[in-house]
Amino acid sequence: MYDDGAPGEPLPDTRGTRLGVAALRIGVALMWVQNAGWKTPPDFGAASEPARGLRRFTEFAVDHPVLPPYAWFVDNVVLPNFTFFGWVTLLVEASLGAFLLIGLATRFWAVVGFAQSLAITLSVLNAPHEWHWSYFLMLLAHVALLATAAGRAYGLDGVLRPRWRRASGRGAALLVRAS
Amino acid sequence: MTGDPLDRAAVALGTAGVLLVLMTPLGGDPWELVQVGVGAAVVTALLGALAVVGGRTARVPLVLAAGGGYLAAALLQLSQFGRDTNWLGGNGSTVSYFLGLGAGLLAVALARRAEPDHEPKGA
Repeated sequence: MYDDGAPGEPLPDTRGTRLGVAALRIGVALMWVQNAGWKTPPDFGAASEPARGLRRFTEFAVDHPVLPPYAWFVDNVVLPNFTFFGWVTLLVEASLGAFLLIGLATRFWAVVGFAQSLAITLSVLNAPHEWHWSYFLMLLAHVALLATAAGRAYGLDGVLRPRWRRASGRGAALLVRAS
Repeated sequence: MTGDPLDRAAVALGTAGVLLVLMTPLGGDPWELVQVGVGAAVVTALLGALAVVGGRTARVPLVLAAGGGYLAAALLQLSQFGRDTNWLGGNGSTVSYFLGLGAGLLAVALARRAEPDHEPKGA
């Protein structure tokens, strides 16, 4: 039997496919853009009684645990250092929105987005009134962005990657892998 | 307009900046995806137009200036939101959008400048 190494028919490379992949990337980016909007420094909701915003959702990891070791980590490491983790969350989510929106180093940011989605899932999956598929879909959307290298469809990766491939140097090689 | 893909990318990013003005509640963004205050609307309209002109005329300094301006605006917004003084009237979503446009325009401009056939043009 003929075997060219591919597990099946190649995916179509049509204008419609590329538009669909770009729409997925931009849609996920706008989700992170909007999510960055309610992580409000300097206290990230910790100063309110009861807690609001990011602090409230982070406490769900302890009050409605999904994975006991993660709940322990949040209770003993994250919450005592909440301002630091609040800033990290804001900067990571703002960067996710920024770089997925323009399609720059998209495969790298898809991995970061998957990790951040996992952290969110482990915090709020068992909280009241949450729809578990919201979080499963967030995870799967980042898998799709990674698998399709979505920045190459109407993103900057598609324009810059040929130049990075021609360039020498470690930075260019890293960007080729990240895109 | 030139046929260089980097110039077209600069035009696209600049257009995305100008279109952000539509994200104001008056422009009809029912989900408030990006918070755009009056200050942010003025900044993004000016910088976006600058990027469009830079891309259409292949003037890299204009694209660089627009990208640097967006990054400066993102840093300003990051330092002010959640506090009493908020000149741009935005929040973290504004930081994210401006960061994307700034990083994108700078990446495009730097790549364009590094091209061997690029002839510098004055701003």
